[in-house]
Amino acid sequence: MFKEPSIRFSAWVACSVLALFTMLPCVWILATAFKTAAEINLWPPTFLPHAPTMENFQQLLRETPFLRYVFNSLLIAVGSTLSIMLTSSLAGFIFAKYRFPLRGLLFMLILASAIIPLEAYMVPLYIMVFKVHMLNTFEALIFPLMIMTFGVFFMRQVIMSIPDDLLEAARIDGASEWWIYLRIILYLSKSGLMAIGVFAFTQAWANFIWPLVVVSSGDMYTTELGLAEYQRAFFTEYGPIAAGAVFSIVPMLIVFAVLRRHIMQGIATSGMKG
Amino acid sequence: MSGATQPLAAPPLAPLARWRRAWGRMQRNHIVFVISALGPILALFVLIRIYPILETIRLSFYNYNITQRRNPFVWFNNYIRLFDDDPFRTALLNTIAFSALSVVITLLLALAVAILLRSIEHTAPTFELLFYVPVVIPWVPAAVIWKWIYDPAYGALNYVLSSLGIPKLGWLQQPHLILYAIVAVSVWKLVGYYIVIYGVGLRGIPEELLEAADLDGASAWQKLIHIVLPLLRPIILFTVVTCTIICFNVFAPVYVLTASSQGAPAYDFKVVVGEIYQNAFVFYHMGYAGAQCVVVLLFVMSLLAVQFLAFREK
Repeated sequence: MFKEPSIRFSAWVACSVLALFTMLPCVWILATAFKTAAEINLWPPTFLPHAPTMENFQQLLRETPFLRYVFNSLLIAVGSTLSIMLTSSLAGFIFAKYRFPLRGLLFMLILASAIIPLEAYMVPLYIMVFKVHMLNTFEALIFPLMIMTFGVFFMRQVIMSIPDDLLEAARIDGASEWWIYLRIILYLSKSGLMAIGVFAFTQAWANFIWPLVVVSSGDMYTTELGLAEYQRAFFTEYGPIAAGAVFSIVPMLIVFAVLRRHIMQGIATSGMKG
Repeated sequence: MSGATQPLAAPPLAPLARWRRAWGRMQRNHIVFVISALGPILALFVLIRIYPILETIRLSFYNYNITQRRNPFVWFNNYIRLFDDDPFRTALLNTIAFSALSVVITLLLALAVAILLRSIEHTAPTFELLFYVPVVIPWVPAAVIWKWIYDPAYGALNYVLSSLGIPKLGWLQQPHLILYAIVAVSVWKLVGYYIVIYGVGLRGIPEELLEAADLDGASAWQKLIHIVLPLLRPIILFTVVTCTIICFNVFAPVYVLTASSQGAPAYDFKVVVGEIYQNAFVFYHMGYAGAQCVVVLLFVMSLLAVQFLAFREK
């Protein structure tokens, strides 16, 4: 786009500085998790651990059921992801490929509600969960994360690009609408579906305020909640806190590393729709 | 559609009637499918989105407390009380200041870097990857990392500053510093996402346009102002809207960063979601919290409306 040498040079410098800014804190927390307590409080601070140790992880797991938190988070994230993948693809398919009364209005309603965040309507959600005596359960934790309005919109865009002729051909061969959804739509939109799955998983994993509100006992803590509360209670125990942060970060980094292509494609599509 | 109907429409009446019946039958099973598949999804959507949003508005007119049997209707009392609520006003002003700084710095930085990345096309994907890592880190561990960096006694930031001869500062302890400290965390966390988004938009700009401008002797600056930025307008609108929504909802990093650290309690930096959380789930003043939700939502909505008007296509 801009090929002038001076611009290329300043691009290199600026991007290198920014890369240091974004990466150094990440590397540092990983390094800290493997440092001994003495080394963490050393002044001047060290960057990489001199004598790598698992002591921080052992202490964290001694003091808290942190693996249980990780398990809870995984369960919630998987449940939410499956539900969002199902509802988004099915609703996206119907909005993309069928004409029915009120279609435009319903779709606008779903789209408009996407800009209202959970924080704005969590009070009535809490009251609902309270009234059916479901506070502090997995159902309550997954419940608000079962649909993603952006997912419906996104899957509609993806499925609209599947040619109608293909569906008509299947119908002539006697295929039912469910068969078309399960065998043709899901198969041809699987890349977009993966992108939505990744969004749903990371969103559920990172969710903080809803678990904070509905969870009342330690065994139902999620990783995020467990980390925040441990950090508040033992704010001087920096080693185990860093170990907890590693528990929270590493699964996301793995998801990102494995599914990078889908994530980037998903972002590209979401950006194009602006 | 046309490919399937043409061979069927050509033969005379009997097959045509059959085709009509088949079409009628297909319509019916389409109707059954749409209702049976979309119905439950819409019901769920109403239950966990539409109803709670409307119920928030209704609650805001009641003196609602979840532990009480009687929750009287109080007209606009909750809204009137908001005018004298100093913590809420502080929280609103803090959130506005935080969002304004965060959105402007994040998006300007992202746009500048995304444009610069276009001039080093080959290494751009690697850089984008490095910038994107904080985006995948959830807010809580992100805040935990930065809390340690900001630590007044042992933090890396004060170490770097003191080696430059600048005295140690309580980044999270001093009221005039904590705002910038939290802004820095959010810029760090968000900038990579918007670099990727702008990158997508920039790649969509036809190279011929820029080459034509080169032939006319346009400078890099002129190309930027007259070609690149106008073409990016829809994407800029998207980023401004989403970034504003994200920043206005800031809560988890504040929750973590304002908790005490290494013997020095942090300054109690109030934000609106924190106030809503306190009123609803600590004091159980749910009607009052509902009124706060409505006021904040109206404020953000009008902000988004202004942004739409400012960036709409001519």
